[in-house]
Amino acid sequence: MTTDSAHAPATDRSADSGAHPAGSRRAGASRPRRSRNRDSLAGYIFLSPWLLGFIGLTLGPMLASLYLAFTDYNLFTAPEWTGLENLGRMAEDEKFWGSVRITLIYVLVGTPIKLAAALAVAMLLNYKAKGTGFFRSAFYAPSLIGASVSIAIVWRAMFSTDGPVDGTLNLFGINLGGWIGNPSLIMPMMILLAVWQFGAPMVIFLAGLKGVPAELYEAASVDGAKAWRKFLSVTVPMLSPVIFFNLLLEMINAFQVFASAYIIGSGTGGPGGATNFYTVYLYTRAFANNQMGYASAMAWVLLLAVGVLAFILFRTSRSWVHYAGDSK
Amino acid sequence: MFRTLSRRTLTGVAALAAAGLALTGCGGGGGEPAAVDTEEQITLNYTFWGNDDRAARYDEAITAFEEKYPNITINDTFTDYPSYWEKRQTEAAGGGLPDVMQFDYTYLRQYGDNGLLLNLEEYFGNGITTDAIDESLLSTGKLEDGTFAIPTGYSAWSVFQNPGLLAEAGVEPYAGGTSWEEYDTYMASVTDASGGTVYGGTDTTQRIQDLELKLRQDGRQLFTDEGELNFTQEELAEHWQEGQANRDKVTVPQSKLEEINPVSGFGGNLTTSEMSWSNFLGGYLGDSGAEEITIVAPPTSNPDEKDLYRKVGLMQAASSSTEHPEAAAAFVDFLINSPEVGGIFGATLGIPASETQLEGANLEGPDKAVQDYLDSIADRLGEAPAAPVAGFGAIEQTFWDLGKSIGLGTVTPEEAAQQFFDEAAVTLGS
Repeated sequence: MTTDSAHAPATDRSADSGAHPAGSRRAGASRPRRSRNRDSLAGYIFLSPWLLGFIGLTLGPMLASLYLAFTDYNLFTAPEWTGLENLGRMAEDEKFWGSVRITLIYVLVGTPIKLAAALAVAMLLNYKAKGTGFFRSAFYAPSLIGASVSIAIVWRAMFSTDGPVDGTLNLFGINLGGWIGNPSLIMPMMILLAVWQFGAPMVIFLAGLKGVPAELYEAASVDGAKAWRKFLSVTVPMLSPVIFFNLLLEMINAFQVFASAYIIGSGTGGPGGATNFYTVYLYTRAFANNQMGYASAMAWVLLLAVGVLAFILFRTSRSWVHYAGDSK
Repeated sequence: MFRTLSRRTLTGVAALAAAGLALTGCGGGGGEPAAVDTEEQITLNYTFWGNDDRAARYDEAITAFEEKYPNITINDTFTDYPSYWEKRQTEAAGGGLPDVMQFDYTYLRQYGDNGLLLNLEEYFGNGITTDAIDESLLSTGKLEDGTFAIPTGYSAWSVFQNPGLLAEAGVEPYAGGTSWEEYDTYMASVTDASGGTVYGGTDTTQRIQDLELKLRQDGRQLFTDEGELNFTQEELAEHWQEGQANRDKVTVPQSKLEEINPVSGFGGNLTTSEMSWSNFLGGYLGDSGAEEITIVAPPTSNPDEKDLYRKVGLMQAASSSTEHPEAAAAFVDFLINSPEVGGIFGATLGIPASETQLEGANLEGPDKAVQDYLDSIADRLGEAPAAPVAGFGAIEQTFWDLGKSIGLGTVTPEEAAQQFFDEAAVTLGS
């Protein structure tokens, strides 16, 4: 930014100076403008791989799916315009509403638990003690591999009948049987799998905690505040932008849960539709039932719904998120 | 850094994250384009569904083919049946189907009628030998515009049993071809004898083939000649209700099956019997590790009715977009006719449709048992149903998924029947 303001007078001068003899030193005065053009050109060139990817792989397909959302398209024959029929069918589709319900439970229950776990561990790791570096990495690791197919397969095995989890619970006299084949236990398992991956929000919380000025805690101590009071009155308000940031990201991520649900539910939303998450159902509609138009409409409904939820979050944030830089 | 996090930054981040939503499809599955032909070096992509047992056999067959045609290399991949078709669907939409594919009668119309398959008829007598193939079987691959797939063989619905597990339970094997009640009694006695570790069988109402069998025993078909469902919603609900007594305490619980999916209850040694197509024998032997598996006729409510039929299942087909149609045709011919391939696969792709392959197969052991089984039910073999309607694959899968949900108790038979008819109306209607 400082370079911009430094160049500005030079540009003005060259604009006034008109034509200059070729080879004159004065010609150098018009260089800033040219170099700025060249800079932005270079910028666009460096940007182009991403830009091409964005247009070709994200924007293009998104626009195509917007069109397909209003058609009947079975992947084999040309799409047929049907207007709002897909939305009408969606409103009457019980399985669709089932998938909405499952996904909402997952997001509304899983995300707060995950963030609470992340914050709790971040506060523990914020203490200066031996080995925190190791524990930080150890707690972060699951979030690197958690979304992978192999972990989903491992969890499948762990929660099967007579698997490690069932076996351990049996030791304590709790006989639940396998979780994988049980429609009412599979959701707790999916939420556990999500919570286990609290590493990413934890690292962000940790960075936020480091930024809370120590003098605020000192002042609170002088005023006689105990640990819980300090947490509520110093940590939470100072951390609120980070909490908001994590909440937003994790919520949007949770809506998109797919790979683990697809693997654990054998790709069909099993057992008995209990892992028929929104994205899994969308995928089934598109690629197993050949209803790409319906699936596209579902995708856009999801985008709009998440957009509305994010908007609501932003509105409520005014009353609870404290920005250190804001004068109000 | 996070102390200065502003509202504007957050808005930007949220917008980006929202834009990154999975609108652009879920990735994966894209087929590689066929390799470029340089100095006659040709690479063909081949794909099939199946298990490890079948994969090992294909590896052998491909090695034999590559020895015969040193300039052609076959790249093969495989997966289980449901994801197989999800992948092909995506590839079909993107124009990237593999050069040669193991194919299913169920999907023939959908792909053939939409110009996605190579018309193999153009290579008949000129790359593909048809003389040795049973005419009635060959014609199953024929649609209005040509022949788009060739069956590897045929099979029939049957009851498989695991004598090893039966001996442990101390129960006499099911004789086959009796009344449904006798089969139910057999299943119950196994489940009782083992005390719940091994079950007598799997829900016999779960799959659409179960319903088809019962309909045919009443002299009816699954579909009308016009390709519409030939049963009512009430009949379907009733069909699923009939399985309730067995589901309650005889057949293997669906929750256990979910855990071992994609291996079946029989393949996973959880049951002593299971109904399926006769060509599953090889796969069952591989999955279960059993030394012996026997095969008998399904129960019937009407012994005089010709309820069974020779089912063309597995086929071989090529993509219309292949860059090497001649090489693709040569590979199809090899897979269908070669005696060597017959020897490798035996009856695991069905009893070979081609006479030359059948000779090479020299059926013995378990394969001989399949052949003997098919001979033994000759009296019950009736006319095969017409080529499956477009969308039958999706309907078959929906039926099975609902059957499983009933087993888990998440839907009632009535609700499931309602959902099935709603779904079928959409699939068949368009």
